[in-house]
Amino acid sequence: MKKQLQITVNGEPRQALVEPYYSLLDTLRDELHLTGTKKGCDEGDCGACTVLLNGKPVCSCLVLAHSAHDAEVTTIEGLANGLELHPVQQAFVERGGLQCGFCTPGLILSTVGFLESGEEPTEENIKHALGGNLCRCTGYTKVIEAVVAASRWNRDSQGTE
Amino acid sequence: MKRFEYLEARTVRQVISMLQRYGENARIVAGSTDFLVRWRAGVWNPGHVINIQRVAGLGRITYSSRNGLRIGVLVTVQALEQHPMVRRRYPALAAAAASFAGVQVRNLATVGGNICNASPSGDTIPALLVFGAECRIAGPDGDRWVALDQFFTGPGQTVLRNDELLAEVRVPPPPSNTGSHYIKHSPRGAMDIATVGVASLVSLDGRRGPCSEARIALGAVAPTPVRAYSAEDILRGHDLSQELIQAAADSARDGVQPISDIRGSAEHRKEIVGVLTRRTLEQALNSAASGPLTFEDQRRLTVQAAF
Amino acid sequence: MADFQTIGKSHIRVDALEKVTGKATYAGDVYLPGMLMCKLLTSTRSHARIKSIDTSAAEALPGVRCVITGNDYPDAWFGSGALKDRRVMARDEVFYIGEPVAAVAADDEMTALEAVELIKVEYVNIQNVVDPLEAISGRSVDVHSDLEDFEGFGFALGGNNCTMLDADRGDVEQGFKDSDVIVEETYHTQPISQGFLEPMACVADLEANGRLDIYASTQGPYQVRAQLASVLDMPIGNIKVTAMEMGGGFGGKLRLAFEAFPALLAIKTGKPVKLVNTREEAFTLNGPRLETNIYLKTGVTNDGNILAREAHSIFDVGAYLGAGPNAGVGHGLGAYSIPNFKLRSYGVYTNKIYVGSYRASGVADMTFATESHTDVIAHKLGMDPLDFRIKNALSEGDTAVNGSPIPKNGLMETILALKEKMGLPKKLPSTPKEGRGVGISVGEWRSGSGPSTAAISVNEDGTVSLLTGSVDISGSDTSLAQIAAEALGLRLDQVVVAKRNTDMAPFTGPSGGSRIVYSQGRAVQNAAEDAKSKLLDLAADRLGVPAEALECAGGAVYVQDNPPQSMDLGQLARMSLSSRGGPIIGAASLSSLPYAPVFNAQGAEVIVDRETGQVRVTRFVQAQDIGKAINPMGVEGQLEGGAVQGIGRALSEEILIDKKTGEVRNPSLATYLMPLSVDMPEIENILVEVPSADGPFGARAVAESPGFGPPAAIANAIFDAVGVRIKTLPLSAERVLAAIQGRTEDEYTVDAEELRKAESA
Repeated sequence: MKKQLQITVNGEPRQALVEPYYSLLDTLRDELHLTGTKKGCDEGDCGACTVLLNGKPVCSCLVLAHSAHDAEVTTIEGLANGLELHPVQQAFVERGGLQCGFCTPGLILSTVGFLESGEEPTEENIKHALGGNLCRCTGYTKVIEAVVAASRWNRDSQGTE
Repeated sequence: MKRFEYLEARTVRQVISMLQRYGENARIVAGSTDFLVRWRAGVWNPGHVINIQRVAGLGRITYSSRNGLRIGVLVTVQALEQHPMVRRRYPALAAAAASFAGVQVRNLATVGGNICNASPSGDTIPALLVFGAECRIAGPDGDRWVALDQFFTGPGQTVLRNDELLAEVRVPPPPSNTGSHYIKHSPRGAMDIATVGVASLVSLDGRRGPCSEARIALGAVAPTPVRAYSAEDILRGHDLSQELIQAAADSARDGVQPISDIRGSAEHRKEIVGVLTRRTLEQALNSAASGPLTFEDQRRLTVQAAF
Repeated sequence: MADFQTIGKSHIRVDALEKVTGKATYAGDVYLPGMLMCKLLTSTRSHARIKSIDTSAAEALPGVRCVITGNDYPDAWFGSGALKDRRVMARDEVFYIGEPVAAVAADDEMTALEAVELIKVEYVNIQNVVDPLEAISGRSVDVHSDLEDFEGFGFALGGNNCTMLDADRGDVEQGFKDSDVIVEETYHTQPISQGFLEPMACVADLEANGRLDIYASTQGPYQVRAQLASVLDMPIGNIKVTAMEMGGGFGGKLRLAFEAFPALLAIKTGKPVKLVNTREEAFTLNGPRLETNIYLKTGVTNDGNILAREAHSIFDVGAYLGAGPNAGVGHGLGAYSIPNFKLRSYGVYTNKIYVGSYRASGVADMTFATESHTDVIAHKLGMDPLDFRIKNALSEGDTAVNGSPIPKNGLMETILALKEKMGLPKKLPSTPKEGRGVGISVGEWRSGSGPSTAAISVNEDGTVSLLTGSVDISGSDTSLAQIAAEALGLRLDQVVVAKRNTDMAPFTGPSGGSRIVYSQGRAVQNAAEDAKSKLLDLAADRLGVPAEALECAGGAVYVQDNPPQSMDLGQLARMSLSSRGGPIIGAASLSSLPYAPVFNAQGAEVIVDRETGQVRVTRFVQAQDIGKAINPMGVEGQLEGGAVQGIGRALSEEILIDKKTGEVRNPSLATYLMPLSVDMPEIENILVEVPSADGPFGARAVAESPGFGPPAAIANAIFDAVGVRIKTLPLSAERVLAAIQGRTEDEYTVDAEELRKAESA
């Protein structure tokens, strides 16, 4: 039976009426009309559904929607400020870190989560941080370049604050 | 895929009373990294799902040099991997946690869920075994303790009764001059279930002393993760020469009858058990004598496919 | 050397912003009011007659709107090509586990799934065949007993061999007689999935007048339209297909797949119906690649001249001929000049999911075989593998397998560029624990052709709108916009690439086979030139000078000798509204372009763990003649992505098939192992530019070649590292370790003698 779910998405309190078996991913897409988060496998193996759940990158296809009540979720739709892209989005655009774009929202959220975690952005740490994100198009070279570029912004901007 | 009802518990007592009420028709979820996948596949069909994620008091991880590590079952694998004392005192465990799945899954998966899933190949388990982990189980009549190496009874099966909940895992502090290592043999450097996983721990009597303790745990080569007791016996109390280490590796290899499945043949698994036992013992001995590696170096050696 | 304004610059993709913000709309993102969800019931039998299907319980379930089976479709056959061996949904017989037998439309997905479980099917088993070598032997049961009655059946051995292609030149027997050394080998490649991140999805809707509106994840909207029209027995004009943003296709979404299921359900319910494949269905319903077994026999002289080659390549096609075994003939020689050859390629039916295409299907398999074989021969002769390749490399003027003369090309440049970048030949230091090695592979391909059309309209402010029916699978929209901008002297941001569907954009071939930049790009260039000539004519008329005296650049048309005498495109466009010719439109159409080969050279450095067999690629370098890089960043992206797909094919990817039932045992991304970032080296690219004669600004095809070489390059590197030659993919740790320890069990034999006999019979 459907039950009410209260959840904050991209800073906005939202409500949805969902079945117990609904995942956070299905809720975002089917009920809240936020289709930027993608379903690549529905079993946590590809990372296309990555969102930030209370600040941490998670596979939203694995999360029972009702378990996320009162949580704060950030999706790809929540990153840009109007037409002004988030630095990670900007880096992906400029470095060619995307092709078909299906894995891109998940990759960007994983990157944001990683850069905000404070872990040192060495190439090795970056690769491990993105280890749960499958990309079939890019071969990763330009993705890594984009994340390295974004990490430099991150470090610079954090230095001035 | 059967429809189910979703319940949330706030205290351990609530969990137990729900378990008593719904019996075999209930399943506990925490991180739920396994639940939805198995439910969609029709493998798990509970009528009631009990979420324990908001149960008070189960989410802490603490370390003291006297009591060692206390890990609440809701601690995520990522939290385990990142904890500075886990990285410093239990390097094999931190590296094993790092080798498990990917960040997005580690941020959800709980240590308790890992253990209760009782997968023969669960990455954190061999490391917990060599460190001598113990499980605190909460039940209607109070708590009981079970050593982790007695916890598993078969693939996906544990000693937990229907009305019991795993509450905490305790890992004793390792003595000084202890080294540990975990190597995971899998095609990729992330996301894979181990084809073979081996953890070793070596404690020395003084920097150069004979081996006072040796523990070896094997994953993915038996119905449950297992200790290689005979191999350990070869080493305990002796100076660890290359020949002795090789003898222990051979013993570990000879002591298993793995199955063949889509990840590898039994023959290949046996080969790898021998190799990884030797390598983890060598690295553990090294660390016992000269101090631990950095987390990054340890992780690099753990995840064989990475470079 | 021309100085280009837009061509050759790494512009940001025209669709980048919508993709990084989550606004790009893929087929699964389409939600229409009243939309129903579709789920499929599939066969649990490998080969069986359908005795009965009882859908009554499913239909009675509240929330279920419609249930269909194969008998609800017109009694029509279709096929991926000329051979019509398929029903859109099984009618009386099923041919593989996973074949659709019924479809449900319900209010929500859960209800649809519950309904599927209530459908009862009675099967009567028929004997099956799973092993393609057994299937072609003539000693097994036939998958399709009525093969020779199928429309489009042509030349083949019959039985389970549904198609046979051949190419001959010279006298191979004499060539072998004249050879000093003959090498005979068999190679085996594994079933592979395209692995696109976006499972196929389709929403079917009805317009008020009953026309079908299809929103699909597809590379071939016009092909889907035509096939849908055929299987639904309705006019092509009754169907509109919109190819949505596509999350990867790689050839797997070229043709009609499941669109007919939501389509018929939409017709019957009068409501929109959506079908989204699960990841499992991406393996079991979609056409992957199946195994190939490739027999090669090559004769060479002692000083390294290749005199003769005979090849028999057996392509397992599964239950239907979803894609042809053309590569076995087209790429049986590789990039070498071989005067005498006999090439045979066979498509063989088995009771498995049927094959599809995957980034030049079959060529990667052939290249693994021929380029490993090339190294084996070189070693046998005691020659350096690179020198042996250079000695036999195709030159301008040679005749390609397809009979075309080889035009000017960059084959030698790519080989030499690779040699220099990697410092070849070189011996890497090895240790007792780890062997290190280098291996190379040289690939040959061609730029794709096929019907291509484009139209350009000039807006009243001088910006232009480009209408192209192609689907962007490789960043082509950006390249096509750059081509148009260059031809018209505009900035890239002054070109809009229209979102389109089959109603509004003129017919074009599917996005595949490396044809978009080459052929579609040429059409775009021609359309832009057409618009430009009209602009010049109009300007010539107004400025009172001959059109030849005019130049078009910087958004304006001006007199070459007197630039201030000019009119900007906006002015001209506004003027054209009342001019005799009317508003300016440029259009172009072509059906084929001349042969333009694409050559590449790839190299891998590996570390092999001698005790576990684990192989790591520590360096990967590739040089490719791309003619002219329209967008270098885009070209590199294609090269990098293709190379990593090739590395996945080399090391870890494999669809595991049950030997008795043909069922896919690992239909999951947990067990079908595609490369992750943690394991990949940085891919190093060298772009060689030897312009083609007919491609836009000299461009050649780009995107398929990088996937060819990694398996052979890595296999050759493993041989260099630890001295073992492995002829079966993937080069897993288990396989490599077994080879190192001398206990290899893989045994695939192609009985060439039996095939020779069968052909002459």
